[in-house]
Amino acid sequence: MELKSKLRQFLPKETPKKAPPQRTVPDLRPILGGEEVETPWGPCHVVEQDFPLDHSWGNLQLGEAASVVYPEGLARVGLDELPHFDLARTLFLDTETTGLAGGTGTYAFLVGTGRFVDGRFVVKQFLMRDYNEEVALLYCLEQELRNSQTIVSFNGKTFDIPLLRTRFAMTRMSFLGVEQHSQIDLLHLARRLWRSKLASCSLTSLEENVLGFTRSGDIPGFEIPQRYFLFLQSGNGLLLRDILEHNAYDIISMAVLMGVINARGMYTPADCTCPWEAEALGGIYAGAGRITSALAFLERALCLAQDKEQQVRLLRTAALLHKRHKHYAAAAELWHKLLSLAEDDLMAHEELAKHYEHREKDFAAADQMTRRALAIALRQRSPKVPELEHRLRRITNRRQRVG
Amino acid sequence: MSLARFKEKLETDPRLRGNVTFRYTIPAAPGKYQPIPDFVPQELRALLQNRGITQLYSHQAQSLQAVHAGRDIVVVTPTASGKTLCYNLPVIQALLENEETRALYLFPTKALAQDQVAELMAWSDELGGRIKTYTYDGDTPGDARKAIRSAGSIVVTNPDMLHAGILPHHTKWIRLFENLRYVVIDELHTYRGVFGSHVANVLRRLHRICEFYGSKPQFICTSATIANPAEHGQALIGRPVTVIDDNGSPRGPREIIFYNPPVVNQPLGIRRSALLEAKTIAHELIAAKVPTIIFTRSRLNTEVLVTYLRESFHRLGDTAAKIRGYRGGYLPSQRRQIERDLREGKVLGVVSTNALELGIDIGTLEAVVLTGYPGTIASTWQQIGRAGRSSGESLAVLVANSSPINQFMVQNPDYFLEKGAEFARINPNNLYILVSHLKCAAFELPFRVGERFGDIDPEEILEYLEEEMVLRRVQDRWYWMSENYPAVDISLRSASADNFVIIDTTDGKTTVIGEVDRFSAPMLIHEGAIYIHESQPYHIDQLDWERQKAYARQVETDYFTDANLAVELKVLDVSATNKLPYATLSWGEVMVTAKTHMYKKIKFHTHENVGWGEISLPEQELHTTAYWFSVPHAIQETMDRDALQSALLGASHVLGNIASLELMCEPADLGVTAQVKSPFTGAPTVFIYDRYPGGVGFSEQLFAAHHRLMDRAYSLVSKCPCPSGCPSCVGPADEVGPQGKEYVLRLLEEVMGSGAQKQAAPISAERNA
Ligand SMILES: [Zn+2]
Repeated sequence: MELKSKLRQFLPKETPKKAPPQRTVPDLRPILGGEEVETPWGPCHVVEQDFPLDHSWGNLQLGEAASVVYPEGLARVGLDELPHFDLARTLFLDTETTGLAGGTGTYAFLVGTGRFVDGRFVVKQFLMRDYNEEVALLYCLEQELRNSQTIVSFNGKTFDIPLLRTRFAMTRMSFLGVEQHSQIDLLHLARRLWRSKLASCSLTSLEENVLGFTRSGDIPGFEIPQRYFLFLQSGNGLLLRDILEHNAYDIISMAVLMGVINARGMYTPADCTCPWEAEALGGIYAGAGRITSALAFLERALCLAQDKEQQVRLLRTAALLHKRHKHYAAAAELWHKLLSLAEDDLMAHEELAKHYEHREKDFAAADQMTRRALAIALRQRSPKVPELEHRLRRITNRRQRVG
Repeated sequence: MSLARFKEKLETDPRLRGNVTFRYTIPAAPGKYQPIPDFVPQELRALLQNRGITQLYSHQAQSLQAVHAGRDIVVVTPTASGKTLCYNLPVIQALLENEETRALYLFPTKALAQDQVAELMAWSDELGGRIKTYTYDGDTPGDARKAIRSAGSIVVTNPDMLHAGILPHHTKWIRLFENLRYVVIDELHTYRGVFGSHVANVLRRLHRICEFYGSKPQFICTSATIANPAEHGQALIGRPVTVIDDNGSPRGPREIIFYNPPVVNQPLGIRRSALLEAKTIAHELIAAKVPTIIFTRSRLNTEVLVTYLRESFHRLGDTAAKIRGYRGGYLPSQRRQIERDLREGKVLGVVSTNALELGIDIGTLEAVVLTGYPGTIASTWQQIGRAGRSSGESLAVLVANSSPINQFMVQNPDYFLEKGAEFARINPNNLYILVSHLKCAAFELPFRVGERFGDIDPEEILEYLEEEMVLRRVQDRWYWMSENYPAVDISLRSASADNFVIIDTTDGKTTVIGEVDRFSAPMLIHEGAIYIHESQPYHIDQLDWERQKAYARQVETDYFTDANLAVELKVLDVSATNKLPYATLSWGEVMVTAKTHMYKKIKFHTHENVGWGEISLPEQELHTTAYWFSVPHAIQETMDRDALQSALLGASHVLGNIASLELMCEPADLGVTAQVKSPFTGAPTVFIYDRYPGGVGFSEQLFAAHHRLMDRAYSLVSKCPCPSGCPSCVGPADEVGPQGKEYVLRLLEEVMGSGAQKQAAPISAERNA
């Protein structure tokens, strides 16, 4: 039997049959703009676009991202030092790939970059029109990377950067690639600021909720690989137009978002207008051990908060922070405030019981608080019951000894 | 002296004596020694000296010489003959000379990998931590993986992980692949059949990646005894290998005893349970203070036997004799504890599943009891090898069960002793398997035009995948053009590309208890079927055909189910034919169509029919390879149609079992069907087909072994003590009819050339066949 007919008989069809694939490299200039660029490794297609700084982007302008003072705000939000940050040597980067699976068979067929240059924002997109243009694409990207010391991405630490590392390694050539750069992953920073406010910290969600605009007609990410394969088969450049636009949007949004995040990092409590952001900043400063700032932001958040649940959470966070730094009286005051909002709060009763027993030596008050805590714990079937019973016995003993 | 006590019991106790069918003592053999070769550096010699090693066994020295000469080797020596030194010494030497050197160790199971790491750690400690050995498997935590990729000198893993975790991410392993000097493959014989065919392709992919990074590793393999280590080694690694099989380790005398439990039901041919007989024997051994290991074939049996043995000693008021269960998945430290307890006499009996069969060393044991034939001669020798040290006597008892294969073994001890071992077969070019791995390979690196994959030119298949739009050709290369990560869809171990899983839903559980290939699903897991898993019957409540899931529930039943399978087999293509004076045999491609319409409920023990049910599931098609032979027309002169039908049915039963013995596979890996008048041959014909789509090489092998199959089948049937057929030979008499056994013998005589073979062929003639 013929091998091919055997294969047809043996193996299920992967896809329905289509026209035979095209083999010539299509001219994309009329459809996508840009130009074919020659490299020592052959050509690839490069699209370059300039945006003025007054280009508006949602509620903001691109230039606002360029005028803030970096990187202190970013560093505060990210808790990292960012040595040698220089906006002119910062490359915004986003890849479009043939899949999400990773591994050596996933290709970055389009790499978009963005950079602030002389009062403009320049987006450069490198496209391989077929698999054999990958090295040329990487060569062009390498030129951009050589002029940069920081790479800004969205989820790039997990996805784009390892993928590019693999692509460079696959060439077995002496590219420097992405190894020498410091990395800013805006997804990580955005999560720190907006995780509790937003259900999703995807770039589209941040555009809608933070930058203030909604993309229309955007191609969903999961369609991109198939769309590219279809382009390879047909040579029809129109199929790529949405992908290039999607990619350029991602890059510009990243640039604007970085400005916003840096600005948030520079906020004083009085600058805050959103209770969730103030709470997030309080948490960030607490994590950095800057307790005074943390408490100031939490206090600000408490002023802004409308929601009782958030108020309770804020009071608890602040009270625990005071306690950790031995401001016992301040902590006790906040626990009492918390009880005025939520009279059944077990932790507040427990903490106050400890406070009266160990700090104030007011055993009558300690006794009362413990009894209330125990009643709540019993009602909630809390595992704390034995511990509270033990506490109550001890307090009773101490009262008797004192009395 | 305690062994002597047991032997005396065996000879005098009337309950035991009559069941011993065979005793044979393998004489002691002195060790053969050779000096440590000159090229082994002083540092390593000193380490060996610390372990009391001043000279090597001859096979160890020969291995080192061959590796030193740059050859790929397969070391074939018995259990506990110091095999690990054959690969650890060259690897450690290479690492001492250049710490950038890398080695990859492949073990078929995690337990073996863990043992090996423990041993390498010991070496490393003595060398001041210079050898960094890591296990890389599904359990390796994420943060440790990075360190292993760049710093691991020796990476210990299994073929599944290499296939799905390492090769598709080879750029993360640049240090390993650039510096890969040795690939160690332990237990080579386990890579056979479907699994071996997959692994051979994984190694083809490994070769491609190494070539890409400019390395050309040498292969050091070890294997239990198989008949064709050179051929099998070459088929697996794709290069000629040097076989080192002259065992130089010393060995004490070893007695092998075959024990056949007595028949308790003559018409049904049912013998007393092998498990209970094994218990009796193990009890006598342990009572005689002989450290004993008992192998069972399932985890459940292991637990049952531990309980039985503890009880029987308890009844005697003897609680001092300690029995331990032993399962797969124990940590090396737990194994060391059992070893220690054995050495100190705290444990006298270890009951184990096959987990211990592979290379793991438990030491100190003097007797082995095998509950049932382990399925292959290679495994049998490995299990037997668990007892007995370099000096001192040891003993192994094989307790047979009622299955045809077991009965054949106890009736034909010469087969076991003289044949020595089976052939390990793989078919790396099975189209299904090959195409799967070509996809993985194209994912890993684009294919160049003219590039070979193992010994094949893949161009035509790559063109096919291009037409299917999985690959794209640009200039002289094929690139992966899919979002998928092909390795995750390909399991190296499953017998079929798409399996059905059986889910236990008893008491709200949802545990997967087994898998069945698509072809067998209508027969085994139709709604209403009784599915037996580890001796526990399950009722199949629901079969979700689309999602390939069967939902089962534990039940107590007194019946099992038997689906009526209507099989049609069409010959598509004949690869070879051999016209003998009495029969014509062939092998080639066939299309098997199977349809089940109904099933019967059959009562255990009495085999009476207690009900039936309908099955309405889609017809199944299987495109595979088969071996077949036709019976001379002359037989129809002496047998009517009914007799012939019964003869063919019985012959199918016995030949299916004998064929699986020949192939080292499970009987369920083969299908047997007979046609009274085959449309293809025009004569009564028996077909044995490969149950894996496309076949893994079984048919060609059976074609070559035709005479041996007939002889053995004849021998098994004629020696079976049952009067007219039983499950151990031609199948139960109520299926083949009261004269079934006689008809089968007549049919086989016709096929073998009639009168000349009235007596079972002497086994010694086999090797000439
Ligand atoms: Zn029989």
